[in-house]
Amino acid sequence: MSGQTPPPPPPPPPPPNPYFPHGPGLYDAPYGAPTPELARDREWQRLDPRMLLVHPVREVLRFLPVLLGLFLAGSSGGGPPLHYLGVLIPIVLGVLRYLTTRFRVADGRVELRRGLLNRHVLSTPQDRVRTVDLTSTLIHRMLGLTMVRIGTGTGGSDDGDLDLDGLPVERARELRRELLREATGQDDLGPDDAPAPPAPPLVVFEPSWLRFAPFTGAGLIVAAAVFGGLSQLLNITDSWERVDVSSVPVPSELAVVGIVLVLLLLVVPISVIGYLVTNWGFRLTRSDGSWHVSRGLLTTRETSLDEDRVAGVSLGEGLALRVARGRHLTAIVTGVDRKAPGSASLVPPAPDRLVLDVASQVVESTHAITGRLRDHGPAARRRRWTRAVVPTSVLPLLALVVSLTGGPWWPLLPTLALLGLACVVAADRASGLGHALVEGYVVARSGSLARRREALAVGDVIGWNLRATWFQRRLGLTTLVATTAGGRGAVTLVDVPVSDAVALANAALPGLAEQFLATSETDTPVGRPAH
Amino acid sequence: MTDATTGPPTLRDPAHRVSPRARVMWQLGAGVEGLVLVVIAGALALTMDAVRWWMVLALAVVVVTYVAVVPQWRYLVHRWEATDTAVYTQTGWWARERRIAPMSRIQTVDYAEGAISRLFGLASVTVTTASAAGAISIDGLDRQVARQLVDDLTRQADAVEGDAT
Repeated sequence: MSGQTPPPPPPPPPPPNPYFPHGPGLYDAPYGAPTPELARDREWQRLDPRMLLVHPVREVLRFLPVLLGLFLAGSSGGGPPLHYLGVLIPIVLGVLRYLTTRFRVADGRVELRRGLLNRHVLSTPQDRVRTVDLTSTLIHRMLGLTMVRIGTGTGGSDDGDLDLDGLPVERARELRRELLREATGQDDLGPDDAPAPPAPPLVVFEPSWLRFAPFTGAGLIVAAAVFGGLSQLLNITDSWERVDVSSVPVPSELAVVGIVLVLLLLVVPISVIGYLVTNWGFRLTRSDGSWHVSRGLLTTRETSLDEDRVAGVSLGEGLALRVARGRHLTAIVTGVDRKAPGSASLVPPAPDRLVLDVASQVVESTHAITGRLRDHGPAARRRRWTRAVVPTSVLPLLALVVSLTGGPWWPLLPTLALLGLACVVAADRASGLGHALVEGYVVARSGSLARRREALAVGDVIGWNLRATWFQRRLGLTTLVATTAGGRGAVTLVDVPVSDAVALANAALPGLAEQFLATSETDTPVGRPAH
Repeated sequence: MTDATTGPPTLRDPAHRVSPRARVMWQLGAGVEGLVLVVIAGALALTMDAVRWWMVLALAVVVVTYVAVVPQWRYLVHRWEATDTAVYTQTGWWARERRIAPMSRIQTVDYAEGAISRLFGLASVTVTTASAAGAISIDGLDRQVARQLVDDLTRQADAVEGDAT
């Protein structure tokens, strides 16, 4: 009887931790003793208590319309001052927000718990951390705090970003350094090693750069937006039927000139202020295998880019900026999630020499940045002219017809000016067109008003698109697109001769396009238009 | 690169055409869309003086021409090929686009049967990479061929190491 007693059932295994199925300890081993800041963050931590000052103010601001209504109703009523409760509620909400938000960095995961009624736990593996950005609004800065945004490479999940809103700046910097170091696996620095002395910044903002502000795309966009808005207004107030040929008075032409002048005068201060607010105090440093950018006049931002994720650079050399002898530089960044922009500003519009120098350091190649590019040939240049001039010459022709049939003559002037501008742009586009494959980079340059020279590392090319319309095929041209995970997703080589495009694709990624080459002229399959 | 005897390097067309039934499918799709347009234009012509019947007729002629010509043209252009190391497609009609994606960079392989394509026993296969500009889509494949292709691609993409970025 006793021998038949079944052994007591084994104790049920502890419920698996849904956030860490492998159990604790797995991630501890390779890192050795945890680093100081991370050691502290093992346990659930509240954010900085000074956020008690920030949250209530924010909540009060959020509820401001309601509060104003309450106060108006309360003061006119004359009953007991119940409306002061209205202020209390947002303040209590703010305090609760502080009390219910905790975070920790433990068991190889970064976790953030928040919410009183709706419990929300954000959790991400520590080795998936790709970016750690610090953002400080004015109120943060007054209190010596900053918001830490921990970005992961997970494409598009809604809990991709972890915001630790409100840590002391020093602690946040330390956390960033340690998180990034562990994420990139650079733990050869022992925990006892002092952090490397900060490298001297490569780029430091100079007030004289403000002279580039009116020449940037932003300035042009502002101008275009204002102009568009005004023309909308004019269209509404002055519908086309009312613009009678004989009734157009001379002062209205003066008014047009006046509006243009006012616009030009407005663009300058607006763009300068915009530039100042975004780029004041700009610094670019390189340390710990990352690029660090900090900038901002009111809200300061510190972003770090892992060098391994910089797939290339994009040099902005718009026509206006080039005339002012300026350039600006953005990095083509891979491995960020889809919501985040795949490019990060490395140098704001600044003197060209400086920007080109920094660009050469980023890609570790001067030829990719300043070297000569291969010309796309006469057919591609002609295409720049036809594409710019043919559509814009329709308008002066129309104006000519109008004036010959008894209409006003003055529409000829602006339309001819537009044609002239188109010619300038066409000439510039034609002269700028070029590509190269140098020192492991696919380099492409095109455009005029918003010309870009992009250099993309061959290793980050993840496919080729060759697109050609019937017109392009007739001329033996094709638009070669090197697709990539970063930037705008592609670097485009406009109107390359087909043989150049195929040769470049072949040389950049040997063995890929090679298997699809036409082996001889006679082998060209049917259905392929001859040219 | 290529040796000099072959002249300037060019790409050949991908090896396989899509299913011939794709022509009819495209014609049906374009026809339905065109019909809707013509009906709307006809309704406008009934109600508004500004829209004349000759405009509706012109639209109908354009639609009929499109339905007659473009699917046929598209069928001549659309081709695909999958090797051990890459997927290569050619699509379009007026603008022709060739796309090459290395197997090592493929992130997802999607198989889809739309409402119209199911009528014809056809399916489409879409291959995505980490680039927004790099997705490759092959429409109008025979269902069996499409399934086989998905299986092959999934197996081969798995076999290659890396995180495809």
